[in-house]
Amino acid sequence: MKKELIELNINDESHVLAVEPQKTLLEVLREDLGLTGAKEACGTGECGACTVLIDGKPILSCLTLAIEAQEKEIITIEGLTRAGQLHPLQKAFIQYGAIQCGYCTPGMILNAKSILDENPKPSRDEILKGLEGNLCRCTGYNKILEAIMAASMGED
Amino acid sequence: MRIPKFEYFRPSSIEDVCSLLYKYKTEAKILAGGTDLFVKMKKKEIAPKVVISLKGIQKLDRIEWDDREGLKIGPLATHDALVNHPIVREKFDFLADTCFKIGTRQVRNMGTLVGNLCNASPSSDAAAPLLVLEARLKFVHLYGERTIPLEKFFVGPFQTVLEPHEIVLEIQIPKPGPGSGGCYQYLHKASSVGETLVGAAVHLTIDPRDSICQEAKIGLSSIAPTPMRTKAAERILKGKRIEEKIIRKAAQVASDETQPRSRPWYRREMSRVLVERAILQAMEKIR
Repeated sequence: MKKELIELNINDESHVLAVEPQKTLLEVLREDLGLTGAKEACGTGECGACTVLIDGKPILSCLTLAIEAQEKEIITIEGLTRAGQLHPLQKAFIQYGAIQCGYCTPGMILNAKSILDENPKPSRDEILKGLEGNLCRCTGYNKILEAIMAASMGED
Repeated sequence: MRIPKFEYFRPSSIEDVCSLLYKYKTEAKILAGGTDLFVKMKKKEIAPKVVISLKGIQKLDRIEWDDREGLKIGPLATHDALVNHPIVREKFDFLADTCFKIGTRQVRNMGTLVGNLCNASPSSDAAAPLLVLEARLKFVHLYGERTIPLEKFFVGPFQTVLEPHEIVLEIQIPKPGPGSGGCYQYLHKASSVGETLVGAAVHLTIDPRDSICQEAKIGLSSIAPTPMRTKAAERILKGKRIEEKIIRKAAQVASDETQPRSRPWYRREMSRVLVERAILQAMEKIR
């Protein structure tokens, strides 16, 4: 299939690259750009490991064509660190031990960021509902919840 | 998992979409949110040669209210957009609630209501409330258009009356009458995406002067090869003052009308329970 030239705005950087139309955003991030934070687990939109933010909203990069992610602002986990400083959510995840194997973490943190951006003081239930599309097979969610609650209260 | 190769088109008008559909027919698939399409393509359940994206066309994500004509929903309106739309929340609260139940946060940001209907899953959550709201679908094709009631749209599991050269351009929902209210009740499987085991939507119109039920619509999901209305049960409510005995009877008749493809006993029992609950909740809202 013919490659097309596309331009993606990722973490405030513009990338121009040639891709085949069936390539997903996840494949382009990981294989063409070396941004391996977003993960592939189920590949069918159930686990949320591939979550990235497009125009501030969490989406599944494994079911999004790269060619359709143009003219949008894409944020991956690599884009959360500013000037060498971790994002408060990243710090909270470390502090509360909300990471074991780490596979779900990038998606978990990006989705949590969008939840807090929408509603800075969510209830426990609102966080749980918001996270229903992010599966963790290690910790059992409690530490993840605690970390997000702590970040929402401005703890570092 | 990779999406198999295809030829990609991003037309800038509906006319161009129709021309492409006319040319490629069954070899083409429409891309809206992609949450069903790309899963099916990755699993090799379908292998379209051509994918036609709607994203290049302006205003297909519209959700419009007209005091005479009711609500119109375009093919790129996402579940999330419906959940957060002020008019949908005000006039069709149970539709907004249902959209909030669908999929996950990520899926709601991507998936569209029209796409959900076109996928025609027997367990579609959106179908039940839309059936009881008497939604209609407008199709267009290269040489014209037609509008059909949603009730006639589904013909079997994952099958609809939509012809390969047609596209669904709009969901139309009539303005709800005074004294009306609706509710959607469901049970779901214990999984991330929580596929619905039984879904029951009820929409009632009750005359405040004499408490007589003027209109009753009951729609069920996941209990037959397609989402369906249960008209015998509706007739039991219509024209009566709704009391416990009548509610029980209507719920039983609705349950008898179901044709579950699996777990029939459980699904029938739960249809009865959920229809009862949905009637009570709808009445509560009208009051």
